[in-house]
Amino acid sequence: MAHPIETENLSKVYALGRRKGTRIALDGLSIEVPEGVVFGFLGPNGAGKTTTIKMLLDFVHPTSGSATMFGKPTTEASTRRAVGYLPEQPYFHKFLKPMEVVSMHATLAGVERRMVREKALNALERTGIAEYADTPIGKLSKGLTQRVGIAQAIVGDPKLLILDEPTSGLDPIGRRHIRDLILELRKEGKTVFLSSHLLSEVESTCDTVAVLKRGTLVAYGTPDEVRGGDQRLSIQVQELDKQTRDSLRFIDVTVEERAGGVTVVASPDNIYEVMRTLEKSDARIVRVQTERESLEEAFLRLAA
Amino acid sequence: MMTGIWTIAKMSLLENSRKQVFHVLCLLMLAIIAGSTLLSIFTEGVQIKILKDLCMTCILFGGAAMAIALGSSGIPNDVESRTIHPLIARPLTRAQYVMGKFIGTFITVSIGVAAMTVAFSALIFMFQHSFDTYVGLAVLFTLLEVAIITAIATTVSTFATPAVTTVLTFLAYVGGTIKIGYVGGLIERSSGGLTKALYSMIYHALPNLECFNLKTSLVHHDAVPAAYLGQVALYGVCYIAFVLVLGMSFFARKEV
Repeated sequence: MAHPIETENLSKVYALGRRKGTRIALDGLSIEVPEGVVFGFLGPNGAGKTTTIKMLLDFVHPTSGSATMFGKPTTEASTRRAVGYLPEQPYFHKFLKPMEVVSMHATLAGVERRMVREKALNALERTGIAEYADTPIGKLSKGLTQRVGIAQAIVGDPKLLILDEPTSGLDPIGRRHIRDLILELRKEGKTVFLSSHLLSEVESTCDTVAVLKRGTLVAYGTPDEVRGGDQRLSIQVQELDKQTRDSLRFIDVTVEERAGGVTVVASPDNIYEVMRTLEKSDARIVRVQTERESLEEAFLRLAA
Repeated sequence: MMTGIWTIAKMSLLENSRKQVFHVLCLLMLAIIAGSTLLSIFTEGVQIKILKDLCMTCILFGGAAMAIALGSSGIPNDVESRTIHPLIARPLTRAQYVMGKFIGTFITVSIGVAAMTVAFSALIFMFQHSFDTYVGLAVLFTLLEVAIITAIATTVSTFATPAVTTVLTFLAYVGGTIKIGYVGGLIERSSGGLTKALYSMIYHALPNLECFNLKTSLVHHDAVPAAYLGQVALYGVCYIAFVLVLGMSFFARKEV
Protein backbone atom coordinates (compact mmCIF):
# COMPACT_ATOMS: atom_id res chain seq x y z
CA MET A 1 0.00 0.00 0.00
CA ALA A 2 1.18 3.52 -0.83
CA HIS A 3 2.67 5.56 1.99
CA PRO A 4 0.90 8.74 3.12
CA ILE A 5 4.03 10.66 2.13
CA GLU A 6 6.88 9.55 -0.08
CA THR A 7 9.58 11.77 -1.54
CA GLU A 8 12.33 10.79 -3.90
CA ASN A 9 15.36 13.02 -4.38
CA LEU A 10 13.19 16.04 -3.76
CA SER A 11 15.18 19.22 -4.31
CA LYS A 12 14.44 22.89 -4.38
CA VAL A 13 16.79 25.60 -5.55
CA TYR A 14 15.73 29.23 -5.30
CA ALA A 15 17.11 31.78 -7.73
CA LEU A 16 18.19 34.85 -5.77
CA GLY A 17 18.78 37.12 -8.72
CA ARG A 18 21.47 37.50 -11.35
CA ARG A 19 24.24 38.62 -9.02
CA LYS A 20 23.33 36.60 -5.95
CA GLY A 21 23.10 33.25 -7.69
CA THR A 22 21.03 30.48 -6.15
CA ARG A 23 20.22 29.01 -2.76
CA ILE A 24 19.66 25.32 -2.19
CA ALA A 25 16.67 25.03 0.13
CA LEU A 26 16.36 21.26 -0.12
CA ASP A 27 18.84 18.78 -1.52
CA GLY A 28 17.69 15.32 -2.61
CA LEU A 29 15.30 14.48 0.20
CA SER A 30 14.10 10.87 0.12
CA ILE A 31 11.78 9.84 2.94
CA GLU A 32 8.82 7.54 3.46
CA VAL A 33 6.23 8.32 6.08
CA PRO A 34 4.41 5.11 7.04
CA GLU A 35 0.70 5.07 7.76
CA GLY A 36 -0.56 5.64 11.30
CA VAL A 37 2.62 7.14 12.75
CA VAL A 38 3.56 10.52 14.13
CA PHE A 39 6.51 11.61 12.02
CA GLY A 40 8.76 14.30 13.48
CA PHE A 41 10.41 16.59 10.97
CA LEU A 42 13.27 18.42 12.66
CA GLY A 43 15.86 20.93 11.69
CA PRO A 44 17.15 24.37 12.61
CA ASN A 45 15.76 27.50 10.98
CA GLY A 46 16.40 27.48 7.23
CA ALA A 47 16.94 23.71 7.13
CA GLY A 48 14.23 23.24 4.51
CA LYS A 49 11.33 21.95 6.61
CA THR A 50 8.75 24.50 5.48
CA THR A 51 10.00 24.28 1.89
CA THR A 52 9.38 20.51 2.00
CA ILE A 53 5.86 21.06 3.33
CA LYS A 54 5.23 23.71 0.67
CA MET A 55 6.26 21.25 -2.03
CA LEU A 56 4.08 18.50 -0.56
CA LEU A 57 1.12 20.86 -0.74
CA ASP A 58 2.04 22.20 -4.19
CA PHE A 59 2.59 25.77 -3.02
CA VAL A 60 6.02 25.69 -4.65
CA HIS A 61 7.32 23.39 -7.35
CA PRO A 62 10.32 21.09 -6.90
CA THR A 63 13.43 21.84 -8.96
CA SER A 64 13.95 18.09 -9.26
CA GLY A 65 12.72 14.87 -7.72
CA SER A 66 9.18 13.88 -6.91
CA ALA A 67 6.73 13.63 -4.05
CA THR A 68 3.58 11.60 -3.66
CA MET A 69 0.86 11.40 -1.04
CA PHE A 70 -1.02 8.11 -0.84
CA GLY A 71 0.62 7.17 -4.13
CA LYS A 72 -0.72 10.16 -6.03
CA PRO A 73 1.40 13.07 -7.26
CA THR A 74 1.18 16.09 -4.97
CA THR A 75 0.40 18.31 -7.96
CA GLU A 76 -3.12 16.85 -8.20
CA ALA A 77 -5.66 18.82 -6.17
CA SER A 78 -7.63 15.64 -5.40
CA THR A 79 -4.60 14.28 -3.51
CA ARG A 80 -5.20 16.91 -0.85
CA ARG A 81 -8.69 15.55 -0.10
CA ALA A 82 -7.09 13.31 2.54
CA VAL A 83 -4.87 16.06 3.98
CA GLY A 84 -5.31 18.58 6.78
CA TYR A 85 -2.73 21.36 7.04
CA LEU A 86 -1.76 23.75 9.79
CA PRO A 87 0.57 26.54 8.59
CA GLU A 88 3.46 27.67 10.77
CA GLN A 89 1.59 30.82 11.72
CA PRO A 90 -2.03 30.44 10.69
CA TYR A 91 -3.42 33.63 9.19
CA PHE A 92 -7.14 34.08 8.88
CA HIS A 93 -9.21 37.12 8.08
CA LYS A 94 -9.66 38.91 11.39
CA PHE A 95 -13.33 39.63 10.83
CA LEU A 96 -14.16 35.92 10.58
CA LYS A 97 -15.25 33.86 13.56
CA PRO A 98 -13.71 30.46 14.37
CA MET A 99 -17.00 28.75 13.51
CA GLU A 100 -17.05 30.45 10.09
CA VAL A 101 -13.40 29.55 9.35
CA VAL A 102 -13.77 25.93 10.38
CA SER A 103 -17.12 25.56 8.58
CA MET A 104 -15.58 26.99 5.41
CA HIS A 105 -12.72 24.51 5.60
CA ALA A 106 -15.17 21.68 6.26
CA THR A 107 -16.99 22.66 3.05
CA LEU A 108 -13.73 22.83 1.10
CA ALA A 109 -12.72 19.44 2.52
CA GLY A 110 -15.88 17.95 1.04
CA VAL A 111 -18.00 17.55 4.19
CA GLU A 112 -21.70 17.22 3.36
CA ARG A 113 -23.55 20.51 3.77
CA ARG A 114 -25.91 19.21 6.51
CA MET A 115 -22.94 17.92 8.51
CA VAL A 116 -20.74 21.03 8.23
CA ARG A 117 -21.83 22.78 11.43
CA GLU A 118 -21.72 19.60 13.49
CA LYS A 119 -18.24 18.68 12.25
CA ALA A 120 -16.98 22.25 12.76
CA LEU A 121 -18.27 22.32 16.32
CA ASN A 122 -16.68 18.95 17.00
CA ALA A 123 -13.30 20.19 15.73
CA LEU A 124 -13.58 23.32 17.88
CA GLU A 125 -14.43 21.20 20.91
CA ARG A 126 -11.48 18.87 20.31
CA THR A 127 -9.11 21.81 20.20
CA GLY A 128 -10.71 23.37 23.28
CA ILE A 129 -12.04 26.57 21.73
CA ALA A 130 -15.76 25.84 21.36
CA GLU A 131 -16.55 28.69 23.76
CA TYR A 132 -14.89 31.15 21.35
CA ALA A 133 -16.75 29.81 18.29
CA ASP A 134 -18.52 33.13 17.68
CA THR A 135 -15.75 35.56 18.69
CA PRO A 136 -14.05 37.34 15.75
CA ILE A 137 -10.52 35.98 15.23
CA GLY A 138 -9.11 39.51 15.52
CA LYS A 139 -10.10 39.46 19.18
CA LEU A 140 -8.49 36.09 19.95
CA SER A 141 -5.01 35.63 21.42
CA LYS A 142 -2.17 34.08 19.39
CA GLY A 143 -2.61 30.75 21.17
CA LEU A 144 -6.35 30.65 20.51
CA THR A 145 -5.80 31.55 16.84
CA GLN A 146 -3.31 28.68 16.68
CA ARG A 147 -6.03 26.36 17.99
CA VAL A 148 -8.40 27.64 15.29
CA GLY A 149 -5.70 26.62 12.82
CA ILE A 150 -5.54 23.15 14.30
CA ALA A 151 -9.35 22.90 14.28
CA GLN A 152 -9.50 23.78 10.57
CA ALA A 153 -6.77 21.20 9.87
CA ILE A 154 -8.62 18.32 11.54
CA VAL A 155 -12.14 19.26 10.45
CA GLY A 156 -12.44 17.18 7.30
CA ASP A 157 -11.38 14.02 9.17
CA PRO A 158 -8.21 13.80 7.03
CA LYS A 159 -6.08 10.66 6.97
CA LEU A 160 -2.89 12.73 6.94
CA LEU A 161 -2.21 15.82 9.02
CA ILE A 162 0.65 18.13 8.17
CA LEU A 163 1.29 20.31 11.21
CA ASP A 164 3.92 23.02 11.02
CA GLU A 165 4.85 24.06 14.59
CA PRO A 166 1.45 23.15 16.09
CA THR A 167 2.28 24.27 19.62
CA SER A 168 3.82 27.60 18.66
CA GLY A 169 2.29 30.35 20.79
CA LEU A 170 0.56 27.95 23.17
CA ASP A 171 0.96 27.99 26.94
CA PRO A 172 2.08 24.77 28.71
CA ILE A 173 -1.54 23.66 29.24
CA GLY A 174 -2.31 24.31 25.59
CA ARG A 175 0.82 22.38 24.53
CA ARG A 176 -0.22 19.43 26.65
CA HIS A 177 -3.72 19.58 25.17
CA ILE A 178 -2.41 19.54 21.60
CA ARG A 179 0.13 16.80 22.38
CA ASP A 180 -2.69 14.66 23.75
CA LEU A 181 -4.78 15.47 20.68
CA ILE A 182 -1.94 14.35 18.39
CA LEU A 183 -1.64 11.06 20.27
CA GLU A 184 -5.42 10.66 20.11
CA LEU A 185 -5.33 11.22 16.35
CA ARG A 186 -2.63 8.55 16.04
CA LYS A 187 -4.84 6.14 17.97
CA GLU A 188 -7.56 6.84 15.41
CA GLY A 189 -5.14 5.62 12.73
CA LYS A 190 -4.23 9.00 11.30
CA THR A 191 -0.75 9.87 10.13
CA VAL A 192 0.71 13.06 11.56
CA PHE A 193 3.62 14.83 9.87
CA LEU A 194 4.89 17.12 12.60
CA SER A 195 7.42 19.85 12.00
CA SER A 196 8.59 21.27 15.29
CA HIS A 197 11.41 22.97 17.15
CA LEU A 198 10.22 21.62 20.49
CA LEU A 199 12.30 18.48 20.83
CA SER A 200 10.68 17.34 24.07
CA GLU A 201 7.37 17.42 22.23
CA VAL A 202 8.78 15.41 19.33
CA GLU A 203 10.46 12.96 21.71
CA SER A 204 7.22 12.25 23.53
CA THR A 205 4.95 11.96 20.49
CA CYS A 206 6.91 10.82 17.44
CA ASP A 207 7.43 7.26 16.21
CA THR A 208 9.84 8.26 13.48
CA VAL A 209 11.96 11.36 13.04
CA ALA A 210 13.95 12.93 10.25
CA VAL A 211 16.55 15.62 10.87
CA LEU A 212 17.42 18.15 8.18
CA LYS A 213 20.49 20.34 8.09
CA ARG A 214 20.86 22.98 5.38
CA GLY A 215 18.48 21.11 3.13
CA THR A 216 20.13 17.73 3.58
CA LEU A 217 18.76 14.79 5.51
CA VAL A 218 21.27 14.00 8.25
CA ALA A 219 19.31 11.46 10.33
CA TYR A 220 16.24 9.36 9.78
CA GLY A 221 14.69 6.62 11.90
CA THR A 222 13.05 6.00 15.25
CA PRO A 223 13.96 8.47 18.02
CA ASP A 224 16.15 5.72 19.56
CA GLU A 225 18.03 5.22 16.29
CA VAL A 226 18.50 8.96 15.84
CA ARG A 227 19.71 9.44 19.39
CA GLY A 228 22.43 6.93 18.66
CA GLY A 229 25.48 6.67 20.88
CA ASP A 230 25.95 4.10 23.64
CA GLN A 231 23.78 3.84 26.66
CA ARG A 232 25.54 5.14 29.75
CA LEU A 233 25.09 4.32 33.42
CA SER A 234 25.38 6.90 36.11
CA ILE A 235 26.19 5.79 39.64
CA GLN A 236 25.62 8.40 42.27
CA VAL A 237 27.65 7.97 45.45
CA GLN A 238 27.71 10.07 48.59
CA GLU A 239 31.47 10.73 48.46
CA LEU A 240 34.64 9.32 46.94
CA ASP A 241 38.11 9.27 48.42
CA LYS A 242 41.15 10.31 46.37
CA GLN A 243 42.43 6.74 45.94
CA THR A 244 39.14 5.55 44.45
CA ARG A 245 39.02 8.55 42.14
CA ASP A 246 42.51 7.69 40.90
CA SER A 247 41.52 4.04 40.38
CA LEU A 248 38.43 5.07 38.42
CA ARG A 249 40.52 7.33 36.21
CA PHE A 250 42.36 4.23 34.97
CA ILE A 251 39.06 2.54 34.02
CA ASP A 252 38.21 5.48 31.74
CA VAL A 253 35.01 6.73 33.36
CA THR A 254 33.85 10.26 34.05
CA VAL A 255 33.59 11.46 37.61
CA GLU A 256 31.36 14.51 38.02
CA GLU A 257 30.48 16.56 41.06
CA ARG A 258 26.72 16.89 40.88
CA ALA A 259 24.08 18.03 43.34
CA GLY A 260 23.66 15.41 46.09
CA GLY A 261 27.08 13.81 45.73
CA VAL A 262 29.49 12.46 43.16
CA THR A 263 28.33 10.83 39.94
CA VAL A 264 30.37 8.23 38.12
CA VAL A 265 29.33 7.86 34.50
CA ALA A 266 30.24 4.43 33.15
CA SER A 267 29.59 2.53 29.98
CA PRO A 268 28.11 -1.02 29.83
CA ASP A 269 31.65 -2.26 28.96
CA ASN A 270 33.26 -1.18 32.20
CA ILE A 271 30.32 -1.20 34.64
CA TYR A 272 31.43 -4.37 36.50
CA GLU A 273 34.92 -3.04 37.01
CA VAL A 274 33.53 0.29 38.27
CA MET A 275 31.20 -1.49 40.69
CA ARG A 276 34.06 -3.64 42.01
CA THR A 277 36.18 -0.51 42.61
CA LEU A 278 33.34 1.22 44.41
CA GLU A 279 32.67 -1.90 46.50
CA LYS A 280 36.35 -2.05 47.53
CA SER A 281 36.27 1.58 48.68
CA ASP A 282 33.05 1.08 50.66
CA ALA A 283 31.48 3.98 48.80
CA ARG A 284 27.82 4.45 49.68
CA ILE A 285 25.82 4.14 46.45
CA VAL A 286 22.77 6.43 46.43
CA ARG A 287 21.34 5.75 42.97
CA VAL A 288 22.12 3.85 39.78
CA GLN A 289 20.37 4.86 36.58
CA THR A 290 20.76 4.63 32.84
CA GLU A 291 21.59 7.76 30.90
CA ARG A 292 20.97 8.21 27.20
CA GLU A 293 21.60 11.01 24.81
CA SER A 294 18.42 13.05 24.67
CA LEU A 295 16.87 13.94 21.35
CA GLU A 296 17.91 17.50 22.03
CA GLU A 297 21.54 16.41 22.44
CA ALA A 298 21.27 14.31 19.30
CA PHE A 299 19.71 17.24 17.45
CA LEU A 300 22.52 19.56 18.53
CA ARG A 301 25.09 16.95 17.54
CA LEU A 302 23.50 16.41 14.13
CA ALA A 303 22.20 19.83 13.15
CA ALA A 304 24.34 22.41 14.92
CA MET B 1 -16.09 21.94 -8.10
CA MET B 2 -18.70 24.69 -7.78
CA THR B 3 -18.66 24.39 -3.99
CA GLY B 4 -14.98 25.34 -3.90
CA ILE B 5 -15.48 28.30 -6.25
CA TRP B 6 -18.52 29.51 -4.33
CA THR B 7 -16.75 29.21 -0.95
CA ILE B 8 -13.86 31.36 -2.19
CA ALA B 9 -16.32 33.80 -3.79
CA LYS B 10 -18.22 34.14 -0.51
CA MET B 11 -14.99 34.74 1.37
CA SER B 12 -13.89 37.32 -1.19
CA LEU B 13 -17.29 39.05 -0.99
CA LEU B 14 -17.08 39.24 2.82
CA GLU B 15 -13.53 40.59 2.62
CA ASN B 16 -14.21 43.17 -0.11
CA SER B 17 -17.44 44.44 1.42
CA ARG B 18 -15.44 45.41 4.53
CA LYS B 19 -12.87 47.42 2.61
CA GLN B 20 -12.85 51.16 3.12
CA VAL B 21 -12.25 51.88 -0.58
CA PHE B 22 -15.55 50.13 -1.42
CA HIS B 23 -17.50 52.18 1.12
CA VAL B 24 -15.86 55.45 0.08
CA LEU B 25 -16.49 54.88 -3.65
CA CYS B 26 -20.09 53.86 -2.99
CA LEU B 27 -20.78 56.92 -0.87
CA LEU B 28 -19.00 59.25 -3.29
CA MET B 29 -20.97 58.01 -6.29
CA LEU B 30 -24.25 58.08 -4.36
CA ALA B 31 -23.47 61.65 -3.31
CA ILE B 32 -22.85 62.66 -6.93
CA ILE B 33 -26.08 60.95 -8.03
CA ALA B 34 -27.99 62.66 -5.22
CA GLY B 35 -26.33 65.94 -6.21
CA SER B 36 -27.87 65.61 -9.68
CA THR B 37 -31.11 66.88 -8.19
CA LEU B 38 -29.49 70.31 -8.27
CA LEU B 39 -29.96 70.30 -12.05
CA SER B 40 -33.23 72.21 -11.64
CA ILE B 41 -31.77 75.17 -13.51
CA PHE B 42 -32.37 73.30 -16.76
CA THR B 43 -35.74 72.88 -18.46
CA GLU B 44 -37.46 69.58 -17.71
CA GLY B 45 -36.56 67.66 -20.90
CA VAL B 46 -32.91 68.68 -20.81
CA GLN B 47 -32.80 68.07 -17.08
CA ILE B 48 -33.78 64.40 -17.49
CA LYS B 49 -31.26 63.88 -20.30
CA ILE B 50 -28.43 65.40 -18.30
CA LEU B 51 -29.51 63.42 -15.24
CA LYS B 52 -29.38 60.13 -17.16
CA ASP B 53 -26.06 61.02 -18.75
CA LEU B 54 -24.48 62.03 -15.45
CA CYS B 55 -25.84 59.08 -13.45
CA MET B 56 -24.85 56.48 -16.05
CA THR B 57 -21.34 57.98 -16.15
CA CYS B 58 -21.27 57.79 -12.37
CA ILE B 59 -22.35 54.15 -12.37
CA LEU B 60 -19.73 53.25 -14.98
CA PHE B 61 -16.85 55.15 -13.35
CA GLY B 62 -17.85 54.03 -9.88
CA GLY B 63 -18.15 50.40 -10.97
CA ALA B 64 -14.85 50.54 -12.88
CA ALA B 65 -13.05 52.17 -9.95
CA MET B 66 -14.38 49.52 -7.56
CA ALA B 67 -13.43 46.73 -9.97
CA ILE B 68 -9.87 48.08 -10.29
CA ALA B 69 -9.42 48.76 -6.56
CA LEU B 70 -10.88 45.47 -5.32
CA GLY B 71 -9.76 43.22 -8.18
CA SER B 72 -6.15 44.34 -8.04
CA SER B 73 -5.66 43.63 -4.34
CA GLY B 74 -7.58 40.40 -3.65
CA ILE B 75 -5.09 37.74 -4.75
CA PRO B 76 -1.83 39.62 -3.91
CA ASN B 77 -3.14 40.38 -0.41
CA ASP B 78 -4.01 36.71 0.17
CA VAL B 79 -0.53 35.67 -0.98
CA GLU B 80 1.19 38.38 1.06
CA SER B 81 -0.76 37.67 4.24
CA ARG B 82 -0.54 33.89 3.61
CA THR B 83 -4.30 33.50 4.14
CA ILE B 84 -4.13 31.63 0.82
CA HIS B 85 -2.16 28.71 2.31
CA PRO B 86 -4.87 26.91 4.28
CA LEU B 87 -7.23 27.43 1.34
CA ILE B 88 -5.11 25.94 -1.43
CA ALA B 89 -3.99 23.15 0.89
CA ARG B 90 -7.54 21.88 0.37
CA PRO B 91 -8.59 19.91 -2.71
CA LEU B 92 -9.04 23.17 -4.57
CA THR B 93 -7.37 23.91 -7.88
CA ARG B 94 -5.65 27.23 -8.50
CA ALA B 95 -8.16 27.81 -11.32
CA GLN B 96 -11.07 27.42 -8.88
CA TYR B 97 -9.38 29.86 -6.53
CA VAL B 98 -8.92 32.50 -9.27
CA MET B 99 -12.51 31.98 -10.46
CA GLY B 100 -13.80 32.31 -6.88
CA LYS B 101 -11.86 35.53 -6.37
CA PHE B 102 -13.23 36.94 -9.65
CA ILE B 103 -16.83 36.04 -8.79
CA GLY B 104 -16.53 37.38 -5.24
CA THR B 105 -15.11 40.68 -6.47
CA PHE B 106 -17.69 40.98 -9.22
CA ILE B 107 -20.57 40.36 -6.79
CA THR B 108 -19.18 43.07 -4.47
CA VAL B 109 -18.93 45.54 -7.35
CA SER B 110 -22.44 44.55 -8.50
CA ILE B 111 -23.79 45.38 -5.03
CA GLY B 112 -22.24 48.85 -5.34
CA VAL B 113 -23.62 49.27 -8.86
CA ALA B 114 -27.05 48.05 -7.67
CA ALA B 115 -27.06 50.68 -4.89
CA MET B 116 -26.23 53.39 -7.44
CA THR B 117 -28.89 52.09 -9.84
CA VAL B 118 -31.55 52.18 -7.12
CA ALA B 119 -30.64 55.79 -6.34
CA PHE B 120 -30.62 56.64 -10.06
CA SER B 121 -34.02 54.99 -10.67
CA ALA B 122 -35.50 56.79 -7.68
CA LEU B 123 -34.32 60.11 -9.13
CA ILE B 124 -35.80 59.31 -12.54
CA PHE B 125 -39.07 58.41 -10.82
CA MET B 126 -38.94 61.70 -8.95
CA PHE B 127 -38.47 63.70 -12.15
CA GLN B 128 -40.50 61.59 -14.63
CA HIS B 129 -43.05 60.00 -12.28
CA SER B 130 -42.37 56.68 -14.01
CA PHE B 131 -39.52 54.18 -14.23
CA ASP B 132 -37.39 53.87 -17.38
CA THR B 133 -36.94 50.27 -18.57
CA TYR B 134 -33.92 51.37 -20.62
CA VAL B 135 -32.08 52.01 -17.38
CA GLY B 136 -32.10 48.30 -16.55
CA LEU B 137 -30.70 47.38 -19.96
CA ALA B 138 -28.03 50.10 -19.88
CA VAL B 139 -26.94 49.11 -16.37
CA LEU B 140 -26.85 45.44 -17.35
CA PHE B 141 -24.35 46.19 -20.13
CA THR B 142 -22.40 48.51 -17.85
CA LEU B 143 -22.13 45.55 -15.46
CA LEU B 144 -20.77 43.43 -18.30
CA GLU B 145 -18.17 46.13 -18.96
CA VAL B 146 -17.32 46.21 -15.25
CA ALA B 147 -17.03 42.40 -15.29
CA ILE B 148 -14.40 42.69 -18.06
CA ILE B 149 -12.44 45.21 -15.98
CA THR B 150 -12.73 42.92 -12.93
CA ALA B 151 -11.46 39.97 -15.00
CA ILE B 152 -8.50 42.01 -16.28
CA ALA B 153 -7.63 43.19 -12.74
CA THR B 154 -7.93 39.64 -11.36
CA THR B 155 -5.73 38.22 -14.11
CA VAL B 156 -3.04 40.89 -13.88
CA SER B 157 -3.02 40.51 -10.07
CA THR B 158 -1.97 36.87 -10.44
CA PHE B 159 1.52 38.00 -11.47
CA ALA B 160 1.82 41.69 -10.52
CA THR B 161 1.71 43.75 -7.35
CA PRO B 162 -1.49 45.64 -6.47
CA ALA B 163 0.05 48.97 -7.57
CA VAL B 164 1.18 47.63 -10.95
CA THR B 165 -2.16 45.86 -11.42
CA THR B 166 -4.05 49.08 -10.71
CA VAL B 167 -2.01 51.00 -13.30
CA LEU B 168 -2.18 48.27 -15.96
CA THR B 169 -5.93 47.71 -15.49
CA PHE B 170 -6.59 51.45 -15.60
CA LEU B 171 -4.59 51.67 -18.85
CA ALA B 172 -6.54 48.71 -20.25
CA TYR B 173 -9.78 50.45 -19.28
CA VAL B 174 -8.79 53.74 -20.91
CA GLY B 175 -7.36 51.89 -23.92
CA GLY B 176 -10.52 49.82 -24.24
CA THR B 177 -12.67 52.94 -24.15
CA ILE B 178 -10.71 54.76 -26.87
CA LYS B 179 -9.82 51.62 -28.83
CA ILE B 180 -12.00 52.19 -31.89
CA GLY B 181 -11.56 55.93 -32.14
CA TYR B 182 -7.89 56.36 -31.27
CA VAL B 183 -5.94 53.08 -31.39
CA GLY B 184 -7.71 52.10 -34.64
CA GLY B 185 -6.67 55.43 -36.13
CA LEU B 186 -3.06 54.85 -35.05
CA ILE B 187 -2.92 51.62 -37.08
CA GLU B 188 -4.23 53.40 -40.17
CA ARG B 189 -1.78 56.26 -39.80
CA SER B 190 1.33 54.18 -39.01
CA SER B 191 3.65 53.45 -41.91
CA GLY B 192 6.36 51.15 -40.48
CA GLY B 193 5.64 47.42 -40.47
CA LEU B 194 6.82 46.87 -36.91
CA THR B 195 4.89 49.85 -35.50
CA LYS B 196 1.79 48.78 -37.36
CA ALA B 197 2.15 45.24 -35.99
CA LEU B 198 2.60 46.61 -32.46
CA TYR B 199 -0.46 48.86 -32.69
CA SER B 200 -2.41 46.04 -34.24
CA MET B 201 -1.45 43.71 -31.37
CA ILE B 202 -2.53 46.29 -28.78
CA TYR B 203 -5.74 46.89 -30.71
CA HIS B 204 -6.68 43.20 -30.69
CA ALA B 205 -5.65 42.60 -27.09
CA LEU B 206 -7.65 45.52 -25.71
CA PRO B 207 -11.34 44.97 -25.07
CA ASN B 208 -13.77 47.11 -27.00
CA LEU B 209 -15.48 48.68 -24.01
CA GLU B 210 -17.29 51.34 -26.01
CA CYS B 211 -19.71 48.76 -27.42
CA PHE B 212 -21.16 48.21 -23.92
CA ASN B 213 -22.00 51.86 -23.54
CA LEU B 214 -25.77 52.23 -24.08
CA LYS B 215 -25.86 55.65 -22.43
CA THR B 216 -26.67 57.52 -25.65
CA SER B 217 -29.51 55.11 -26.45
CA LEU B 218 -30.85 55.57 -22.92
CA VAL B 219 -30.67 59.37 -23.08
CA HIS B 220 -32.30 59.60 -26.51
CA HIS B 221 -34.47 56.47 -26.20
CA ASP B 222 -33.01 55.03 -29.40
CA ALA B 223 -33.99 51.42 -29.97
CA VAL B 224 -31.01 49.06 -29.96
CA PRO B 225 -31.39 45.92 -32.14
CA ALA B 226 -31.64 42.72 -30.09
CA ALA B 227 -29.13 41.00 -32.41
CA TYR B 228 -26.55 43.69 -31.65
CA LEU B 229 -27.14 43.34 -27.91
CA GLY B 230 -26.78 39.56 -28.21
CA GLN B 231 -23.50 39.92 -30.11
CA VAL B 232 -22.12 42.42 -27.61
CA ALA B 233 -23.11 40.20 -24.66
CA LEU B 234 -21.49 37.16 -26.29
CA TYR B 235 -18.33 39.18 -27.01
CA GLY B 236 -18.20 40.28 -23.38
CA VAL B 237 -18.63 36.78 -21.99
CA CYS B 238 -16.00 35.36 -24.39
CA TYR B 239 -13.52 38.13 -23.53
CA ILE B 240 -14.01 37.52 -19.79
CA ALA B 241 -13.54 33.76 -20.26
CA PHE B 242 -10.37 34.31 -22.32
CA VAL B 243 -8.85 36.73 -19.81
CA LEU B 244 -9.68 34.48 -16.84
CA VAL B 245 -8.20 31.39 -18.53
CA LEU B 246 -4.99 33.39 -18.98
CA GLY B 247 -5.06 34.36 -15.30
CA MET B 248 -5.67 30.77 -14.22
CA SER B 249 -2.73 29.50 -16.26
CA PHE B 250 -0.43 32.22 -14.85
CA PHE B 251 -1.51 31.45 -11.31
CA ALA B 252 -1.17 27.68 -11.75
CA ARG B 253 2.59 28.17 -12.18
CA LYS B 254 2.99 30.79 -9.46
CA GLU B 255 4.81 29.83 -6.26
CA VAL B 256 2.95 31.13 -3.24
